[in-house]
Amino acid sequence: MAEKPRVAIFDFTGCEGCELNQLNFEDQLLDILAHVDIVEWREAMDDRAAEYDIAFVEGSLSTPDCITRINDIRRRTKVLVALGACAVQGGINGMKNTQAIEEVREEVYGEDKYLFPTLPALALHEVVKVDYNVRGCPMTQIEFLKLFTSLVMGKQPIEPDHAVCVDCKLKENECVYERGMICLGPVTRAGCDAQCPSVGQYCTGCRGLVTNPNLSGMEEILVEHGLSVDEAWKRLELYNANDLEGAR
Amino acid sequence: MVQFYLDAERLPAFVAHLMAQKTVIAPHAKGQKSFTFETVAEPDQVVLDYPRVMQSIRKFFLPPKEELLTFDLTENSYETTEVEPIDAIFLGVHSYDVAAVGRLDYNFSVGSPEKNYLTRRQGAVFVGVSFVPDSYHFSGSVNIRPEDPTGCDIFLTKLFEGYVLEVHTPTGEELIKGFDMPAHDAGRPATGHFQQHIYVPQTRLSEIMEQSYDNDVWAETAEQCVGCGTCNLVCPTCYCFNVDEAVDVTVTKGHRERHWDGCMLRKFSEVAGGEVFRESLAGRQRHRIFRKFKYISDTTGQPWCVGCGRCTAACPAHISIVGIVNRLISDHAQAVVAPI
Amino acid sequence: MNLNEFLPTIEPENLYAPVMAEITEIKRLTSMEVFYRIELPDGAELGHQPGQFVEVSIFGVGEAPFSISSSPTHKGSFELGVRKAGMLTDVMTRLQPGTKLGIRGPFGTGVDVEKFKGKDVLIVAGGIGLVPMRSMINYVLDRREDFGRLIICYGSRSEQDLLFTDEIAKWEADPKVEFHVTVDQGGEGWKGNVGVITTLVPGLDLDLTNTACCVCGPPIMYRFVLMALKSKGLSDESIYMSLERRMKCGVGKCGHCQINSSYVCQDGPVYHYPDLKNLQEAL
Repeated sequence: MAEKPRVAIFDFTGCEGCELNQLNFEDQLLDILAHVDIVEWREAMDDRAAEYDIAFVEGSLSTPDCITRINDIRRRTKVLVALGACAVQGGINGMKNTQAIEEVREEVYGEDKYLFPTLPALALHEVVKVDYNVRGCPMTQIEFLKLFTSLVMGKQPIEPDHAVCVDCKLKENECVYERGMICLGPVTRAGCDAQCPSVGQYCTGCRGLVTNPNLSGMEEILVEHGLSVDEAWKRLELYNANDLEGAR
Repeated sequence: MVQFYLDAERLPAFVAHLMAQKTVIAPHAKGQKSFTFETVAEPDQVVLDYPRVMQSIRKFFLPPKEELLTFDLTENSYETTEVEPIDAIFLGVHSYDVAAVGRLDYNFSVGSPEKNYLTRRQGAVFVGVSFVPDSYHFSGSVNIRPEDPTGCDIFLTKLFEGYVLEVHTPTGEELIKGFDMPAHDAGRPATGHFQQHIYVPQTRLSEIMEQSYDNDVWAETAEQCVGCGTCNLVCPTCYCFNVDEAVDVTVTKGHRERHWDGCMLRKFSEVAGGEVFRESLAGRQRHRIFRKFKYISDTTGQPWCVGCGRCTAACPAHISIVGIVNRLISDHAQAVVAPI
Repeated sequence: MNLNEFLPTIEPENLYAPVMAEITEIKRLTSMEVFYRIELPDGAELGHQPGQFVEVSIFGVGEAPFSISSSPTHKGSFELGVRKAGMLTDVMTRLQPGTKLGIRGPFGTGVDVEKFKGKDVLIVAGGIGLVPMRSMINYVLDRREDFGRLIICYGSRSEQDLLFTDEIAKWEADPKVEFHVTVDQGGEGWKGNVGVITTLVPGLDLDLTNTACCVCGPPIMYRFVLMALKSKGLSDESIYMSLERRMKCGVGKCGHCQINSSYVCQDGPVYHYPDLKNLQEAL
């Protein structure tokens, strides 16, 4: 590539953990910077730019202002990458959408609620065209690196579409169900190298669901391991409320 | 054949004796309830009394992830990655896992023999151990007994507080040289009974499968199955794989990597453009079961399931392979006797 | 007996090591399809049969199967016709002549040309199915005396999607080729047949006792073409079909291309139709 791609990084409704995760590439940060020019990044610099080749966007869209801004970013960028669970599938913020929006406003802002217009928390793809996803909460570093090298090489990144169980079996992890935990690995999209189960933690489903998940089958598994039907769905909805709307 | 008695207390000494000759790979405890084959560092960490390891010893010959070649992107050149024989003693292998290696040997020898697998397979020495069938084992139904020494250089059969040690090959004789054990001449004890059975001899299964293509059990199983692929990935005779490119963050070099794959996964049959040729979970279940009891078996005369019970034990939805097969058998029996 | 005693004693070659071959010509066929001519090092011949495929790889991008489009009678290079349908093909369309690709193969069972000799050859190609069938067509044209009539039915989505238009013009002009073409959607200026490929079959004048037919196209096409051919009166024994699956390794190991018990990369991609009847997943 003759000129380095100009990269911008933006945040919407989220904890900014994904961006911090980006700064955390201690071993690879210099290699990454060798390939790109970062032209806008509120968390790390003051400059602003008019156009970008790649925009990395973190967070979900939850106010009218967010919608205006994301449309603006989409117009300015050639490639838009959703970064992390909030941006990819609405994430934790999506839980808000399972409740009445007026009640949510009341609960959060009290009598000032009319000062803060709010929308259901939306994934980026629900408003603009998203080219690629880096999933996870926070976004999965190894997946970010794969996407990054793909973009530098000018090839489409491969998005994994198999369950976390596969990665656990490849690593010969003891199944966390054996430890009495309840895990969403069987229907959650892999690509994280089964990070959590590898350290004895159950999968919370932060990377979203596989394509065509068998949800009633998963509900059965969760209920069989002691959850009520309601608890089972709440567990599934933790990161996937938007994708599961109407699925119960 | 010579038999000795190996007292359980002398097991660490026996392991140390083997370690003095070659690398020893044996079962170890892992996690809270599980077991895994690892290279032995401390003889007393070896566990010979275990129900099953999470992954069979296939993982040494066909690693879960394996570099096939390395490439240089600036030069557009590559070098194949050379592999070495696993010159080790596999201690404490159950009969069904030895049988499974034999099945894989066939798959990687037939047609186009595969260098990486066959190179790794050179030099392995097998010291088998009998097992007590638990509620998942059913290898007896595919003609593999818990005390079957086939393929082993040495075989250990549990007897009270020790093992009857049988030497089956000249390699085995060499291995025990210098390790004194009392001779044993009371034969071998029969090991425990299986709690799970396939109802008919395995020789009839292919014919029953033939009649079961449209059985309701596939769709019914698909309601429970979440398509996670666990059954494929823990199966000691599954060998399907995919190949991906791993590029270094400098974008100047990388490697081509193969990793285990499974026919229960949706993307397995996907072609460029997005068409998925085995989209339904029912069709995928049928393919899995037919691969174990019909497709390869029609050519080789042997079931490609060795009855270890891993797929059932590890399935989050508790789908039982024996349950599916027996259902096909009973439906077939009813279909045969039912009035037309 | 140790298990190892059953292992083969041969020293196997590395099945996954590609040969680096040079792209010598690139031509756009349509907005989606690109033509590549490729030369193996030291003027080596690929040595394929019509209907076989190769595995093409670009380091860091990936490897995928492609049908060989040139006839083995055409020496010195081989040709591919590639549709932009995935990551690898997307990158391929941006390559320049002179670039080297990794090539493995040829693989699979192609058209058994001996079975076609002395017979009228009927080719039914839908869309990109013309790419592998072109190999057979040119084989027949180069060995014209070995075969009877050459009848080609080619269906395409639209006029703009027609592949190898230069060669089509030659086939249309050749008195020894009976070339029929149809498009699903006829645009302005299209004077030919409009309709799906099966609409070409009823009008064919075939010698049913001496015709061998080869079919290749998108998955949806086969069942309908088969019905049309059978109602025309062609016997099952006279029909061959080239099937697409995900032939990842090409050597009968990785499992992706299986149709029931059959590995497409070994037993196919060209199957004799009677053999397909036992493979429920095939069509």
